[in-house]
Amino acid sequence: MKKVLAITMAALMVAAMFAGCTPAGTAGGNAKNTEFVIGMSGPLTGGAAVYGVAVKNAAQMAVDEINAAGGLNGVNFKLIATDDQHDATKVATNYANLMNQGMQVSLGTVTTAPGLEFKPLAKEDNVFFLTPSASGDKIPEFDNGFQMCFADGNQGAVAADYVNNAGLTKIGVFYKSDDSYSNGIYKQFKENLDADIEVVETSFTEATSTDFATQISQLKECPFIFMPIYYQPAAVFMEQAKNEVPAGVTYYGCDGFDGLAGQLDLTTIPQEVSMLSHFDATATEGKAAEFVKKYTEKFGAETLNQFGASAYDCVYAIYGAMKELIDEGKEVTPQTTASDLCDMLKAKFTGGYTLAEGATGANIKWNADGTVAKGAVKYNLK
Amino acid sequence: MKFLETLLNGLSSGSTYAMIALGYTMVYGIAKMLNFAHGDVIMVGGYTLFVTAMTMGMHPLVALLLAVICCAILGVTIEKLAYKPLRGASPLAVLITAIGMSYLLQSMAQMIFGSADRMVRLFDLGKINIGSFRISAYTVVTLSCSAVIMVALSLFVKYTRIGRAMIAVSEDKAAAQLMGINVNFIITITFAIGSALAAFAGFFMVLKSPPVNSTLGAMPGIKAFTAAVIGGIGSIPGAMLGGILMGVVESFAQTSPVIAPFTVAIEFSILIVILLVRPSGILGKKRREKV
Repeated sequence: MKKVLAITMAALMVAAMFAGCTPAGTAGGNAKNTEFVIGMSGPLTGGAAVYGVAVKNAAQMAVDEINAAGGLNGVNFKLIATDDQHDATKVATNYANLMNQGMQVSLGTVTTAPGLEFKPLAKEDNVFFLTPSASGDKIPEFDNGFQMCFADGNQGAVAADYVNNAGLTKIGVFYKSDDSYSNGIYKQFKENLDADIEVVETSFTEATSTDFATQISQLKECPFIFMPIYYQPAAVFMEQAKNEVPAGVTYYGCDGFDGLAGQLDLTTIPQEVSMLSHFDATATEGKAAEFVKKYTEKFGAETLNQFGASAYDCVYAIYGAMKELIDEGKEVTPQTTASDLCDMLKAKFTGGYTLAEGATGANIKWNADGTVAKGAVKYNLK
Repeated sequence: MKFLETLLNGLSSGSTYAMIALGYTMVYGIAKMLNFAHGDVIMVGGYTLFVTAMTMGMHPLVALLLAVICCAILGVTIEKLAYKPLRGASPLAVLITAIGMSYLLQSMAQMIFGSADRMVRLFDLGKINIGSFRISAYTVVTLSCSAVIMVALSLFVKYTRIGRAMIAVSEDKAAAQLMGINVNFIITITFAIGSALAAFAGFFMVLKSPPVNSTLGAMPGIKAFTAAVIGGIGSIPGAMLGGILMGVVESFAQTSPVIAPFTVAIEFSILIVILLVRPSGILGKKRREKV
């Protein structure tokens, strides 16, 4: 009896081993496709669900719009969204499922940690992906990976670009000199900032992070203060500065400002609190405003965020690139393998392809390393 | 104008350091030991303010009074439990015990209140206008409060029986005992006063920056200790001077973008310079070592 059990167990284990594999060489079971298939993996349930759901909703909205307008050469698009619950261990299964369902091109993952699992799988099969929101620097490491959001390590350059174009002549900087995050962003910011903008530079260290009186008196004549720091010291600074700094001044932070609202009541801060972003949910005109209106009508305001806007642009960017390929006489059909499509799209995206207008910016281009090149906007936190 | 502002900011944070340094210097002067748990008494003061003012909704001044009492009791308890049994033991044993006490307090605070910051928002002090010159009310409050406290402390030490006994114990413990002074009682009083001052320092700190966490007192404690040594450890005016000096140097160092990242290094370098020139600190008594 024991022996039978053992053999059964062994057989089951062997079967399980094979079940986990995608047969090599048949990458993308897309031979039977009747539509172009876009696949994605994101947290549709769990703690990060608000991001995944936003991406899925907005991407589906873009797909529906494209299909309603006749698709691409009469062929419709289809979005397949799988749930990874922001758990990197679920990505391999999701990826295999997507490939079995005929995925030709992908939105990658919504968040960074699962994206790092997704990246080598997609590289192996040579599947093109354009992620709306996985901002890790390593996400576009391979030639088939592209980002629609700003890469984490690019925030300094992007912020400098924003300041250069904002018509400011004098700005203040408040950074943490013994912190690699803050230092890294500030260094890049300084390198990319126009030389004729006057900079009042102040800093603090871990050991001096409770009393900012001196820095505040240095900075209070600046109309714009760039703060590439995390939210805790930023909250302390804002509270100490609220009576010192004129009310019209703008504080501008990077992603470190995420969570600021949980640390202090922003309505008690008379100054403008904003952060680097590519999407402004309060926009009143342009493509962003259009997106906000359409999205809230369909899905409500609860999951309206930059993740969705970015996903919406991703679908349009992929659609636009495929349309250009067809116009150039390339053969792009639902039967085109993911790998062939990937080679064509890679050449497009690194060859100056532009999404003229999106919800997260205009004239969106991509650098050769897969990072996005577009303008940042100021996103007001209150 | 900028200069004056920087100076005032420095004086204000310096007076907080001075307040803490007084605790170090008094305990050293009388018990001849370095109470490294002193910085953490500030932290306990901060959490007491959190519980009384924020959770229980008491008036900030009542909360301050309770924090002062709490810290004084804590200081006395630490002395009775940890340091008194070691009287007569080697100074190194006492030092290690003090460091252990510091970690014990920090860990206990973390166990009770967690590692996330607790916000203590007491008053919104606003600004005071003097002609065209605007000065933050916080600076005025800390400066005047600490001036009052320091003057009161000096008068207490000089003119009361207990104060004079403190001086006597600090000068010669054995002789003081022979003259009928209860040395243990004097040491207890010293710990109580030092810890009460730490509570005031904690109050000033949260008044400026609301987040309270378990390491709130660690860095200010070390800076104040340095200030006490710069001023001459054991000397009360020396602690005040050293604290103010630390604050002013810190404030001015932060005004230069090039020097600012090295602020803390500069503060501690002053110690080295002072000790090279005057080994017993600015106002420290010169003691001839007898061989």
